[in-house]
Amino acid sequence: MSKSDRQDGPSRRQFLALGGAASGLAAMGLSAGWAENRPSVDAATVAGSEHETDVLVIGGGMAGLFAAVKAHDAGARVLLVSKGRLGASGQTPFAKGFFAYDAARESLSIDDFVARVSRSALGTNNESYTRQLAEHSLDRARELKAWGFFDQVLANRPFLKPITARDIPLMERVMITHLIKQEGRIAGAAGFRLDSAETVLFRARAVVLCTGAGGFKPNGFPVCDLTHDGSIMAYRIGAKITGKEWNDGHFTRADNPAACFDNWGDMFERIPGTTGIEVHHDLGVESNYVAYETGNPLPGGPPGSVGGRKTSGGPVTPQEFQRRAGGPGGPGEGGPGSGSRRDGPPPPPDDGRKPAGGAPDFAMNASQMGGASAGMSIHKSEGLVPMDARCNSTIPGLLAAGDALGSHMAGGIYTQIGSSLAGSAVQGAIAGEEAAGYAARSEQARITPARRDGILAEILAPLKREAGYGPAWVTQTLQGVMIPNFVLYIKKESLMRAALAYVEELRDHHAPMLRAADMHELRLAFETRNMILSAEMKLRASLKRTESRCSHYRTDHPETDDANWRAWINILQGADGQMVLEKQPFGSWPDQS
Amino acid sequence: MKPTRTRLAFAAALLFIGLPLLLFARAPVPSRTLLKDSLSILTILAVALLLGQFFLARTIPAVQRAFKPPRVQALHRWIGYGAITVLLLHPFLIVLPRYFEPGVRPLDALVTMLTSFDTLGVLLGLACWLLLLLLALTSHLRMRLIKRFRISYRAWRGFHALLAAGFTGLALWHAIELGRHTGWLLGGFFALLAIAGIALLARLYLPERHRPAPQAEGLHI
Amino acid sequence: MTIKSIHGCIGCGECVQSCPCDVIRLDPSSGKAVIAYPEDCQICHLCRLYCPVDAIEMSPEKTLPVITPWG
Repeated sequence: MSKSDRQDGPSRRQFLALGGAASGLAAMGLSAGWAENRPSVDAATVAGSEHETDVLVIGGGMAGLFAAVKAHDAGARVLLVSKGRLGASGQTPFAKGFFAYDAARESLSIDDFVARVSRSALGTNNESYTRQLAEHSLDRARELKAWGFFDQVLANRPFLKPITARDIPLMERVMITHLIKQEGRIAGAAGFRLDSAETVLFRARAVVLCTGAGGFKPNGFPVCDLTHDGSIMAYRIGAKITGKEWNDGHFTRADNPAACFDNWGDMFERIPGTTGIEVHHDLGVESNYVAYETGNPLPGGPPGSVGGRKTSGGPVTPQEFQRRAGGPGGPGEGGPGSGSRRDGPPPPPDDGRKPAGGAPDFAMNASQMGGASAGMSIHKSEGLVPMDARCNSTIPGLLAAGDALGSHMAGGIYTQIGSSLAGSAVQGAIAGEEAAGYAARSEQARITPARRDGILAEILAPLKREAGYGPAWVTQTLQGVMIPNFVLYIKKESLMRAALAYVEELRDHHAPMLRAADMHELRLAFETRNMILSAEMKLRASLKRTESRCSHYRTDHPETDDANWRAWINILQGADGQMVLEKQPFGSWPDQS
Repeated sequence: MKPTRTRLAFAAALLFIGLPLLLFARAPVPSRTLLKDSLSILTILAVALLLGQFFLARTIPAVQRAFKPPRVQALHRWIGYGAITVLLLHPFLIVLPRYFEPGVRPLDALVTMLTSFDTLGVLLGLACWLLLLLLALTSHLRMRLIKRFRISYRAWRGFHALLAAGFTGLALWHAIELGRHTGWLLGGFFALLAIAGIALLARLYLPERHRPAPQAEGLHI
Repeated sequence: MTIKSIHGCIGCGECVQSCPCDVIRLDPSSGKAVIAYPEDCQICHLCRLYCPVDAIEMSPEKTLPVITPWG
């Protein structure tokens, strides 16, 4: 292996000093954001290609794999397009645990399992999707096993197996920037290739978004390629988005916080495995609260223990799911290698069982740093609002699965271990079947030439700007505004309003002036635009939820308010282009308006 | 006699083992695991010793005088078969360490590597591998070949020399194109050895072939 | 430095394909992988794990200052 521990970059002190300047935008070491654009790609000579299919699956992770396979098996012509490589982009490559409910091996019935998840999630989970996960997970695990997924570390080859066997066309390294709606239903999507100056337009009867979740390109978690692309595209054509107020509370190390591989120990190098029922209530913002109250550094230790520091108040864990140091099931249970998950690192996208006898070398004694996944909500709990348990969105022909779907399968906090990866497989399969059915009974909506030309012009606009703002600089500015603990995690109204003012400025003045010099930067430009809108959604949803529940914590509303807030928050674009927020009671489906 | 032998052996060890190892260590390349670095060293020594073969082919009178011909021939044979074995295994040794660590599986890695036909260095490597196989097989079966095709031993030796020189040229090109450690330092050193070795061989063979008087050639114009 | 150096590249393109963040590209003239956009590396090591000849060396340090929630 060629990992290196040598530090040729800035010294540790410089590094920490820079990290400490999180909100000091001047210290960011980037050249001025405003600069002349000298494109290496001439927008005038960019080629264009058009493709047609029944079902377009966007995203090459676990959800996209099953969506493509099941849509094909249900008789549809399928095309799978991915920003990265099949099985090697998004969070799928790093998820090692796959929850498989095996009735023969579990003492809990599916009803009991759903009830336990609901208790941990304080009602925030959608029970239809929680149940569906348990019902289908074992079948999906068996299919993955047949494709060799549980035999090796890397997912690309196992994922290719069913795709090549079915001859499903696969387009990798294509970024989709626009969903196209015509005649009130989905008509296709458009984007561009990363490897050549070429725009790509798809006509499709149904589109399945398997685009994952996203973050603010944070440091310490492998989500920097995910920027909520799917939900932002869908929002812009009228879909409802939910779950933005929740926070994924994964942390990293204070030393080299961006080194997510190093900080996850051997997790990324493990072979995936299956997990059984193990319901928790964790990886919300407990550590963030301790850091907020007692300051830096935050001592190392298993998640939830926060180095034994005591604080009063803060996020509440239901009695049934509390863990005490030294108590049964708690962090004190056995040392490293005892087999208890609690001495391992916090799960990455999805945590697996530890390999026998091996404790990850996650530096449990090193100082912790929060915000590893800043900008990401809880898996499966942010994204398109489903209007039924079949992954349909509020736009006919547009479906979503996995982290792109706000199914609230797990709720607003992490509950079942390994359910994130399994949920993507389960939902992908259902969305694929459903999309094939929809495509079979629907005509292709016509994309007018004017609409097409308008979209292609929008795609190329950043390449044409002679001057503008660099996406990297705008992203860092957004990070500086959003990532501080007192904005994103330990919330209060005044600071969220202040951050919102910054974000609105970025939205109104910077997003329209993002420039790009090549196809890589064009990707960054659209990712930056998507992150800005996602930041606005996070702030608005967090402002609206005037209570604390699960991974959403407000110092000005620290109590859980069951009288008013047994409801999800949906966001949609209003007639004037502004964000409109609405409540959807837990256990209900959205209004069909 | 004795001091000459010792001196020759010392010089050879320095030139074909010591210097390559030194240049390996000086290559501006991060070190890897013990297994991988050992395999790199093994490969580099195989190349260096194979280059040394040119100097064991009756090309240096001092060597001929100091050692008995059968001993030189035996050394030539042993080095030949040993180094060729290492280099024939070279593609497999590259992916071998993946058996012991996570990541792409060795067989998948091998297939990816051997099918990267867009890369000149890979094509050169494939050609070298086949040439090397041919070199080994023809050497092993030389007596039968001489009998079967009724060629002189001298002709066989010429064929062997040509094959070796051709292989060496392509192999060094391959190594300089793709080699992790074969930068201008180690690559340049190997190239110098190869040029010297092939020049010595040429000096040994060419005059024999062109022995018909040089002036006579002029008369034919 | 994130993804730090590539030695002994055979130009197969596995790392270009498997980098989630589009950090690596094949140099058009040499046909070999170059670290084109190091500032976007998320230090996930997928390139290293996919590389058939283990040519990639990683470092835990980012090329850009790292923004964290506290410091």
